[in-house]
Amino acid sequence: MSPVLEVEQLHFSFDSRGEVLRGITFTVAAGECVGIMGANGSGKSTLLWCVLGLYRAEGTVRLFGEPFSRKNRRRASFVFQNPEDQLFMPKLVEDVALPLLNRGTSAEEASMKAVSALEVAGLRQAADRPASQLSLGEKKRAAIAAALVTSPELLLLDEPTAELDGRSVRRLVALLRDLPVARVIASHDLGFLGELCSRLLVLSEGAVIAEGPAAAILKDSALLEQAGLI
Amino acid sequence: MVLRPRGKARLLKRWLLALLPVLLFSAMLALMQWVAGMPVTWLWLKMILVFLVTTAVVRLLPWDRWIFRTRSGTVRFYVALFPLFVRHFAFVLGAEARRSLVARSLSVRNEYGPGSFRSLAHAVGAIFSRSLARAERFYAAQMLRGIGE
Repeated sequence: MSPVLEVEQLHFSFDSRGEVLRGITFTVAAGECVGIMGANGSGKSTLLWCVLGLYRAEGTVRLFGEPFSRKNRRRASFVFQNPEDQLFMPKLVEDVALPLLNRGTSAEEASMKAVSALEVAGLRQAADRPASQLSLGEKKRAAIAAALVTSPELLLLDEPTAELDGRSVRRLVALLRDLPVARVIASHDLGFLGELCSRLLVLSEGAVIAEGPAAAILKDSALLEQAGLI
Repeated sequence: MVLRPRGKARLLKRWLLALLPVLLFSAMLALMQWVAGMPVTWLWLKMILVFLVTTAVVRLLPWDRWIFRTRSGTVRFYVALFPLFVRHFAFVLGAEARRSLVARSLSVRNEYGPGSFRSLAHAVGAIFSRSLARAERFYAAQMLRGIGE
């Protein structure tokens, strides 16, 4: 089976600053959970933006065995670091249903699927409230529900545990652990990545300095120190 | 004894407070025309009217329900989405303005003393740069959800 995501020799720079990504290469298999870890400013978020074509980078990105295009990007979903960037409708259920409506699903079916997605995220009772009234942990789970409602084959998450308390992180782990979808998680939360990911990539100054099984990477304190993670 | 506005009175107070910056800006426009020796036009009143009409259109009409009754990809679908986007951007701008001005008031020794104009200019600059960054992320998020492609 071909990987769901193949990234080869990806280079990216903002105009005035030096290279932010320097020759990144990695693959993600179907159903696999891969963590991208690195200190602040190491290029994790930029890498996710480049993978989904939000920034134009040099190099090759293949999604689901085909060259990147807007059409095959629709089979992937992205959860932003700040959930308020994604949610804007007056009711949460409408926010979650919107991508389905936009793809031509009927209003009834879209609402039904949105309620199911909110149920999975443990937010059924908040369906009629606006996202702005939820706690940050609830907003993050709502953003994940909105990302999952289209049944993506690849889910990318940018710093999902940023600013969350311990209980919210545990809920997030429970939500993400058993998803039957390939996941790429950018984070510097070592415990969170250790619980979810089978494989980790360590990013430092825009380059992958190590890649391997999560258990082995997380035990290598010299490597973690070099990457600015401990 | 302190009387707290309740119910409708509280709502009216919130509306008037929201209108205050617009009133101040309108007054400023009229003042600038007068100081420059130009005839004071009805620009200040037009601005207040545009604000009131836009607020009423965005807040009072059920755009979200209309989206669910409209077929995706049609002009009506995007027309219904537009005020919701405007409302979200207004929310973002308001939140960033509050954050930036509170941060300024906490960091300067005297809000109205020497250097206050400079710190206010930096705070206002920060509002726009942060709002721009959030607008970029919001646009990217909606594009990935298939809206605006």
